[in-house]
Amino acid sequence: MSAFLTYLLNGLAVGSAIALIASGLVVIHRVTGVVNFAQGTFAVVAGLCTSSLLGLGFPHGVSEVAAVLAAALAGLLTGLAAVGRPGTSPLSALIVTLGVGVLAYAVEIVLWGDQPRSAPGLAGSVTLVGARIQTQHLLVIGVAAATFVLLALFFGRTYLGKALTACASNPYAARVVGIDTRRMGLLAFALGGLLGGIAGVLVTPLRPISFDTDVTLIVNGFAAAVFGALTRPVVTLAGALLLGVAETMAAGYGYGSHQLEVALGLMLVVMIVQAGRRSTISQEST
Amino acid sequence: MTRRLRLAAGLLVAVVTLVLPAVLDDSALAVYILLGLAAMVTVGVSLLMGYAGQVSLGQGAFYAIGAYTAALLALNGAPPLAGLVAAPVAAAISALVIGVPLLRLRGHHLAFATLAMQLILLSLAGQLEFTGGDIGLQGIPQFGVGSFEATSASVYAYLTWAGLALVMLVTHNVIASRPGRALRALATSETAAASSGIPVGRYKLVVFALSATFAGLAGGIYCFYTGYVAPGSFPVLISIQYIVMAVVGGLGTIWGAVVGATAITLLVQGLDLLASLPGMPTYAPSVLSYAVYALVLIVVVLFMPHGLVPAVSGRLSRKRARTPYR
Repeated sequence: MSAFLTYLLNGLAVGSAIALIASGLVVIHRVTGVVNFAQGTFAVVAGLCTSSLLGLGFPHGVSEVAAVLAAALAGLLTGLAAVGRPGTSPLSALIVTLGVGVLAYAVEIVLWGDQPRSAPGLAGSVTLVGARIQTQHLLVIGVAAATFVLLALFFGRTYLGKALTACASNPYAARVVGIDTRRMGLLAFALGGLLGGIAGVLVTPLRPISFDTDVTLIVNGFAAAVFGALTRPVVTLAGALLLGVAETMAAGYGYGSHQLEVALGLMLVVMIVQAGRRSTISQEST
Repeated sequence: MTRRLRLAAGLLVAVVTLVLPAVLDDSALAVYILLGLAAMVTVGVSLLMGYAGQVSLGQGAFYAIGAYTAALLALNGAPPLAGLVAAPVAAAISALVIGVPLLRLRGHHLAFATLAMQLILLSLAGQLEFTGGDIGLQGIPQFGVGSFEATSASVYAYLTWAGLALVMLVTHNVIASRPGRALRALATSETAAASSGIPVGRYKLVVFALSATFAGLAGGIYCFYTGYVAPGSFPVLISIQYIVMAVVGGLGTIWGAVVGATAITLLVQGLDLLASLPGMPTYAPSVLSYAVYALVLIVVVLFMPHGLVPAVSGRLSRKRARTPYR
């Protein structure tokens, strides 16, 4: 029973990290209609930055915040490439973000080399109702929960958040009332970078990150985001937690080598079921 | 272009293609063969993406299926020709099976689903017993027919470019046919296409299988040429590379795919030479090729969305159209 509980808690931690990446995808997709292929890259950039800054002797806290800001900057730059030029269709923008992800490979190898890097996180572990859990896992869950609450407040209570939501629901009407949709798109990308960066900073102490880790990260994040049809954050969160728990359970009960297949298989099933439920014409109009 | 000019250009290309294997040395020939194989896959990508409007980020998976099929057959004593024939067939059958659920998706969903397909396949190939795991399959016999055995690289070059010619011919005929027009229609609007009587689902599946067939054929030739296949030979980047080539050359044009594959291959080769100069850091080759793929992709998508070949031929025909009025 305690093994089950351990897997459950660890799974929730993994799921929280996935949820942060997925929420970045959702924010960007809601506002701009673009699926950001470089979302995993932001996490990698943040993770690698943290390990370097800590290695240079900067204290904890400072390093992590600087790394997250670096990821937000990466997000902004990606946004400039993807939606900065007016008239780029969402599918072209997807290919552009794909290009940005590959470009990041080159930059990351020059700066950090091609070997995986790690960063020290919170040490030690706690025992909760008979289940041991690493403190870092608890930190991941806590930070992710706080981030989601802040996101909800930001979108629900602030003018900026409401302007972003307006762009998401009707770009034309948003422009009519004087909202600069291009600037909002860039802001969404920066926010996506920020969220991806938080995920990267939290994950690096748990498993080493190298330049090509972004494929696994983006695939997991996208799998979670399709649960919420790329627009609904709460369903996305639920999807991410489910995915994290499913992966950890698969690993815990001896199917460790099939983690990736579990995530990808779930994603495919969800997408195909969703596609079957929506009619062709409503999909073409969006 | 006038018909005569076009014929002359075609003949020139054919002659150059046939002469090159005889004059190139072995290392240049390797580039030539890989270029032809890449072009073969890219023609399929161009047909699928440019004509039928379906994005596949997993074309490398079918390349891998073709290569593994031919390799497994050859290693188990089947004649190489049977392996080469089985490679595209196996790729087509897997595309038909995978395509039935997958092609219900569209746009970015389809892009991610095809990427997932390739990741699953690579992960399986790295774990299963009969595919040789991460080490892969080695010691694949040379290609041959009857008592003839392909011992020199130039034989593979001719085989590759004959395959490419076949693939281009098939694609040309598909595009010029009634189903070809139907494909263009469904790329614009599936609803409109379906309401005018086009069996949308079936056509999408067939074109998906056809592009997989091309990739499978290229994979079959590849495994005989290199003599080994492993999951590491088919990274996700290889699928992205085909997209770059197709986009650069011009989606939905046959020659665009060939020009795109040529341009990117030669560019990356040139940079590899540059990177291996003394004094360059060891990571230079991979960094330069990543950077080139990325920058070319971004710049072309943003500033030349129709690709090289349509841009150039459009400029030519505009110029020619203007002259009579001067």
